[in-house]
Amino acid sequence: MTVRAARALAGTAEPQDNVAAQPLTEALPAVIQPNGAPSAASRFRIFIVDSGWNSAARRVLHENFALIRDLQRDDPIYVLSREKSVEFMRRHGSRIGRDPIIAVHDMQALNKGGTTGFHGFRLSLGLLRTPQQALMGLQAFARFLVEHRHSADLEADIRARLRREGLSGAIEIAMHHEAREIGE
Amino acid sequence: MFDRVTEVISLVLGVLALGYLVYEIDRRQRKLHEIWDVLDGEDAIITNSLEDMVENGELRPFAGAALA
Repeated sequence: MTVRAARALAGTAEPQDNVAAQPLTEALPAVIQPNGAPSAASRFRIFIVDSGWNSAARRVLHENFALIRDLQRDDPIYVLSREKSVEFMRRHGSRIGRDPIIAVHDMQALNKGGTTGFHGFRLSLGLLRTPQQALMGLQAFARFLVEHRHSADLEADIRARLRREGLSGAIEIAMHHEAREIGE
Repeated sequence: MFDRVTEVISLVLGVLALGYLVYEIDRRQRKLHEIWDVLDGEDAIITNSLEDMVENGELRPFAGAALA
């Protein structure tokens, strides 16, 4: 079943937007079948939206993109051009300043239930202000995709990770305060 | 009398410390959710828009060596 058919079945199909088509200039990687559809091995579709802010996060993404692509060779990566990214941001203003945004669509969830429930996750890299934070975020993202690409319940894995991060971070802060008080 | 006051102060400080920890956990999780969050029904329009662009050929898998 195609994604569009799944979404139509789930009642979530939206009318197409009038976005100008871009000429096709790139060869298809091996993960894509001759008819243009991702292969059966692709669990995810990865989208990169980058309108072009001159930010540390953008530089980190550009510098490490080749490695990200190599690590995620089983999944197609779709990079919106600057024009398409700006058009995207104009349409979804609340996302302005959060890009580069890496959106990951879980095709297993999309084909099963459309977009009404969980169907992927998003990394708003632009909210990470320093190069170190952006690099750590990107590494965590790549690691999560590789470790959980066969997960039966990706949503639970993500939420568990967020809970752990929040708890461990708070404990770290509390311990840091403790260390300062005793003069370390 | 003094012991009782000390106990009350210790209890209050303990509650404040626990409250701060709960507040900090909540703050960090909210911040993490802004950076790294799940896509659900609220993101349907955006998701459908991107998927439509793939299915009608406006977006093709990136095969270049580096981002522009």
